[in-house]
Amino acid sequence: MEKYVGYGYLVLVAIGYIITARRSRQKARVAGTSAVKAFANIALTFLAVFGLVGLIEVFVPPTLVERFLGADGSLLPLLAGGLAGSVAAGPPAAAYPIAASLLNSGAWAPAVAAFIVSWTLVGVVSLPFEAKTFGWRFAIARNGLSFLFALLIGVLMGVVL
Amino acid sequence: MKRALKFAASEFLLVIVVALYLLALFRDPARAGEAAVASVRTFLGVLPIIVAVFGALGLFGVWVDKKAVAERLGEGSGFGTLVLAALFGTVLVGPVYVVFPLLKVVREHGARWAVIGAVLTAWAVKIPMVPLEIGMLGLRFSLSRSLLVALSAIPLGLLLEAAMRGSERRNAQVIREGSSV
Repeated sequence: MEKYVGYGYLVLVAIGYIITARRSRQKARVAGTSAVKAFANIALTFLAVFGLVGLIEVFVPPTLVERFLGADGSLLPLLAGGLAGSVAAGPPAAAYPIAASLLNSGAWAPAVAAFIVSWTLVGVVSLPFEAKTFGWRFAIARNGLSFLFALLIGVLMGVVL
Repeated sequence: MKRALKFAASEFLLVIVVALYLLALFRDPARAGEAAVASVRTFLGVLPIIVAVFGALGLFGVWVDKKAVAERLGEGSGFGTLVLAALFGTVLVGPVYVVFPLLKVVREHGARWAVIGAVLTAWAVKIPMVPLEIGMLGLRFSLSRSLLVALSAIPLGLLLEAAMRGSERRNAQVIREGSSV
């Protein structure tokens, strides 16, 4: 099923572009250019992330991943996943390949979920910018609450999966 | 030289990964090759989704009328506005330096803190990227995560608002006490 998601999505997006172009060529062109630009911005990061995935697969023994992120009956792996996701700076699309390789190496699903959620929700690197925009109290409260929610969502994922 | 440093700073992950590959090549060329092959295999496996994701990001950018939604979010303050904020967040695309200033404008239009918090939380759902997540982590994982994040948007927004209200009350108190002295 997962294999066909890509092609199905591709077809859907292509249809979206055709409909958009029929309504307004200009609009479709803007969408297309911004898509290419967004990809160009992230291309080098992708190169690095997928390169890293290969390295993890070949060089990082599953026992190591299991020791830090594997289910051990405690909430420590959850905390480790959440912290790793919080300090990681990068586009969310980069989080998925890394999370997948961790999962394949035996990481505990709730820890991986906490990793992804905190990656997208908590931004330690963008904290100064957030504080400049909304004030320090907002930035710290939002990131703190988001971190707690990332752990909570991780736990709930463990129940669901 | 300066440009090279700037590049290394902005693409530090790439620099690290290249360094790791060089190290691996030096110590164990066969396995370094294996790693490179595994990387390419993984990348090719999700390439169609990646192309679709970026195409979709472009479409969302032109179809979601950010300004119109921003104005509506500033006007209302009921539960419906919070729901709209959460929905808006799930289709909102863009980097931090676009989204934060946009929400600052929403706040200046009179939106509650809970609205800002709900948008920022739901922003983590990233609907255009969900198919990529499904491709790499599976349908169940991806849909559960997206749903749980979306459901968290309003509670997190309200808690955030409570945290902000505390500060505003204290500030008001400080001002009152200051004036009575």
